[in-house]
Amino acid sequence: MLAFAIRRLLHTIPILAIVSLIAFGMIKLVPGDPAVVMGGTNATAAEIDQIRRNLGLDQPFHVQLGAFYWNLLQGDLGNSLLLNVPVTSAIIERLPATLWLSAYAMLLTLIFGLATGIIAALRHNTWVDQAATTLALIGVSLPNFWLGLVMIVVFSVHLGWLPTSGFVDPAENVIGFLRTATMPAAALAMLQIGLLARITRSAMLEVLRQDYVRTARAKGLPEWVVVMKHALANAMIPIVTVVGLIFSVLISGSIVIETIFTIPGMGALLGNAILRRDYPMIQGGLLFVAAALMLLNLLADMLYAYFDPRVQVDRDG
Amino acid sequence: MKLRQSILAATALTAVALAATPSNAQGFQCPRTGGDLIFALESQVPGLDQHASNSSATRNVAMNMFETLVTRDENMNPILELAETLETSADGLTYTFRLRQGIKFHNGKTMSSADVAASFDRYKRLGIDRSILDPVDSWSTPDANTFVMKLKARQPLFLEALSSFTVPIVIIPSENAGAAAGQLPTVGTGPFRLDEFRADSHVRLRRFDDYRPDTRHATMSGFAGGKRACVDTVTLRMMTEPAARTAALEVNEIHGVEDVPAASQKRLADNRAIKLARLETFWMNVTYPNWSAPPTDNPKVRQAILAAMNFDEIMEAATEGQYKLNPGFQYPGMQYFTDAGKELLNQKNPAKARQLLQEAGYKGEKVVLLTNRQFPVMYNTSLVMAEQLKAAGINAELEVLDWPAALQKSQRETQGWNFFYTGWITVIALGGPQTLRQMAEPNPVYKPKDNKVDPAYMAAFNEVNTAPELAQRQAAFARAQRIALDQVMAVPFGVAPKTQAVRANVENYVPYFNTRFSNVWIRP
Amino acid sequence: MADLALTLFPANARRTGRKLLRNRAFVAGAFLVTLVFLAIVLAPLIAQYEPNRMQIRMRFRPPSSEFWFGTDNLGRDMFARVLYGGRLSIEIGFWVVMLNAVFGVTLGALAGYFRALDNPLMRLSDALMAFPSVLLAIGIAAILGPSTSTAVIALAVVYIPRTARILRASVLVVRELDYVHASRAAGAGDWHILWRHILPNCMAPLLVQLSFVFAYAVLSEAVLSFLGLGAPPTVPSWGILISEGRSYIREAWWLTVVPGIAIAVTVLGLNLLGDGLRDVLDPRMKIQQE
Repeated sequence: MLAFAIRRLLHTIPILAIVSLIAFGMIKLVPGDPAVVMGGTNATAAEIDQIRRNLGLDQPFHVQLGAFYWNLLQGDLGNSLLLNVPVTSAIIERLPATLWLSAYAMLLTLIFGLATGIIAALRHNTWVDQAATTLALIGVSLPNFWLGLVMIVVFSVHLGWLPTSGFVDPAENVIGFLRTATMPAAALAMLQIGLLARITRSAMLEVLRQDYVRTARAKGLPEWVVVMKHALANAMIPIVTVVGLIFSVLISGSIVIETIFTIPGMGALLGNAILRRDYPMIQGGLLFVAAALMLLNLLADMLYAYFDPRVQVDRDG
Repeated sequence: MKLRQSILAATALTAVALAATPSNAQGFQCPRTGGDLIFALESQVPGLDQHASNSSATRNVAMNMFETLVTRDENMNPILELAETLETSADGLTYTFRLRQGIKFHNGKTMSSADVAASFDRYKRLGIDRSILDPVDSWSTPDANTFVMKLKARQPLFLEALSSFTVPIVIIPSENAGAAAGQLPTVGTGPFRLDEFRADSHVRLRRFDDYRPDTRHATMSGFAGGKRACVDTVTLRMMTEPAARTAALEVNEIHGVEDVPAASQKRLADNRAIKLARLETFWMNVTYPNWSAPPTDNPKVRQAILAAMNFDEIMEAATEGQYKLNPGFQYPGMQYFTDAGKELLNQKNPAKARQLLQEAGYKGEKVVLLTNRQFPVMYNTSLVMAEQLKAAGINAELEVLDWPAALQKSQRETQGWNFFYTGWITVIALGGPQTLRQMAEPNPVYKPKDNKVDPAYMAAFNEVNTAPELAQRQAAFARAQRIALDQVMAVPFGVAPKTQAVRANVENYVPYFNTRFSNVWIRP
Repeated sequence: MADLALTLFPANARRTGRKLLRNRAFVAGAFLVTLVFLAIVLAPLIAQYEPNRMQIRMRFRPPSSEFWFGTDNLGRDMFARVLYGGRLSIEIGFWVVMLNAVFGVTLGALAGYFRALDNPLMRLSDALMAFPSVLLAIGIAAILGPSTSTAVIALAVVYIPRTARILRASVLVVRELDYVHASRAAGAGDWHILWRHILPNCMAPLLVQLSFVFAYAVLSEAVLSFLGLGAPPTVPSWGILISEGRSYIREAWWLTVVPGIAIAVTVLGLNLLGDGLRDVLDPRMKIQQE
């Protein structure tokens, strides 16, 4: 297992090299620069030139590129042009909100996704199954930002139950966290709940047909023991794979959701960085997120191997 | 306004105090103190280095913490702030500022002329509008309370430029003057000091207990005057979604919003827990052509386009009905206001347009309207304009980019665009000369060939800047405006208000070009 | 097309067709998708207003018998805008699918069949997949500037590695089948084997994947447009309609809600279609995602 982990870690190095090149190439090609963004609607050409000089953007491109890689080797991702803080500290500051939000969304996904999938599988071909399957399908068909907007209108404005926006760190105030994070987490989770419910249902159906489950039932074990112990444990393999993917999807979704709910997280940070042409922030942020996701995938693969030791860990072949 | 004319016109006098008559030895007194005022801003704050940012969002926050020697008052006239007096020499070359005593920075240090000089040094080095200081030959500090500027040549409008607040020359402690652009520690002399700044989320300001109020004025005026922090803290939340912002105000999560979309105003006006605060003439909706790209390099084509347009329809769509048409580049009541050339605006005359197009030899060349979606006002303006041009037989086409890309493209005349959209706020508010500068050398927005501006316009512009008599300057302004409209350097569609709103228990919030939190208190 | 049908259902095309028609998910999906297609194709006949015709004094009319879906902030008829907007959303989805079919198949087949190409191609796809999909699409869209082809390219780049992976996996299985070995032993060339024997047998998972790519593309296009990076809004897509309507969600809910439902119905239809196809064509393929 350890050798496998190390080999996979080494694998990520060339990938990260390509990622950093893609990130840098992206920046070279995007029209518009941060000076223009900072200048705002009323800026004169002379003002924008001055901002550009202040930011060091009048340097030739290869000088900027060289500086980027030189600093990267020293573990320095540079300074954000628009936030005036080092990229690393911006990431560290924003990461908790996104992690908490993703964790909450993940929790909702696991609870509702698994429950829906299991119930549907157990009541296969009944109206319960139909309803659950339909709900799951609708879940994967709704645009999450649209859902977020509709929820704000219904739950904040009309019913007045939850605040419209903002974020409270759960370490400071759990109730505040639940009040601010429930809507965005639900909007984020909806797609994943549908996804997981569908996977769980088919994985469970597969497993429930297997001999050992029939044997367990025949032995007269209570139904929940059969389901939880025998069936679910075996259905975990495909589920873990999907859960590994879900984090990547959650990060993607958080860009729009954090914008709508005014949550200062990684998604909003990166989305805004691109829209504002904050070059170092884009580079550093993308590199960080890509590395984090690759580690998560590695983790998912190791879990995969744990749940099913018969499986050859290196799925890439 | 009278007062300032006497100062600017009669500079032969030796000692002139720019301050208004002291009316209240106490300055402003808070009827009530305490509380956290939560206010929603409509855009992200791109940092608080007031020398290195020209964004309105920066001023919204930073100008509650920083102060200047001289700024503009509520009516846009120069007003002294950290300066006690200003004396101008008879030849108009020497400006002597005497500083107010006992002013403390947020770091506890007492302000002296060395800090002022260091602030000007930094602004000269990296200030966004450092061209303001171009006419200045040198500055010096004869003693701890005196700051003297020497001009290279007589410049009647120097004080107007010095006091303009697009990028105000705020006074910082000398030890911070070496800070690189964007890295300035937020230490000023204002009634609030910085408590916490989380980019893209919120800024919290806290009352500065050692603030020395300006007791010469009973109330705040512009950014200056009698100011006090009545609330303990101000939390400014950046909420870019208009619907979420308004909803937060309605459910009492926040005390005020910087901007209320037109569509929501009626509902808020009917809500007795909310007060609307409106600045009637806030911004001018403007488009300008590209003189270097065909077919708008042809004056007849530009005139045809101007003739074809119906400004009412455009403003109606852009502002959802909240607008006034405006006959020129200044608003009625302003010093340089004139309706010269107003017959060229809002002509609604497609027949004349077709006639002009024929004379111009127009053969259906594309007219590219370069616009963006980040600012719905600009987008809707371009949308209606495109329809009107098409109706007059002009092959108009929208090019929609995101804002940074669009703005960058607009600065390159070779890149195949014909009209660009913007909103002029401070460009108009700061007065006639400032407005004309947009269309004058060295950086005329409409990109004429080789940046060479019509000599008659430049002559009028220079006269506006140098003529000693106001009447003369006003006449020159009218001439310049007529030329600008006749040749279509820029098109002023009309003026729209800025509507802000606060909860009913927030007292004394007065809307201005930027949000101001001094003298605002919260009723329990 | 007939050829394709034959290769898809080589054994018994008619029986597969009957199976599909008996599959409830497939029928429901086909119904919804047909409905959406008809509506957008026949838009000029159904809608009584031009989608961009402004009647500024008629702004913010709620849904009524005259304006079925109400009017927007410039007095444009939302019914027409939603129908025409669907054209763009579907068109973008369609081209994303086409690019996926061409490049996903090519890259997947090359990687799966030629072992030497496998590692570099898969590392590149790893790198592309290491970016969260929306971020990658935003970056590409920002580079190319907002246009219809930008949205297509950005989304295609996001999904091609995923399609390629699925195809590669199928090729890896099929290339070890007996008849492929037999054909190779008989002296057939690589390209011949790949083209005549392997690819036809990978069509089922590909078709299923493409139906899901279509669904994701419609959803992701909406996200791009919502962020102002999709197609230019002169011909609005559903995402743009939601994005433009969201400022007025309190005063004019229909501007946001109706296009959202249009997206949901279309994506639901495509997902059902994909489910049905998968059940019938490839019952073993349950877990292939995204």
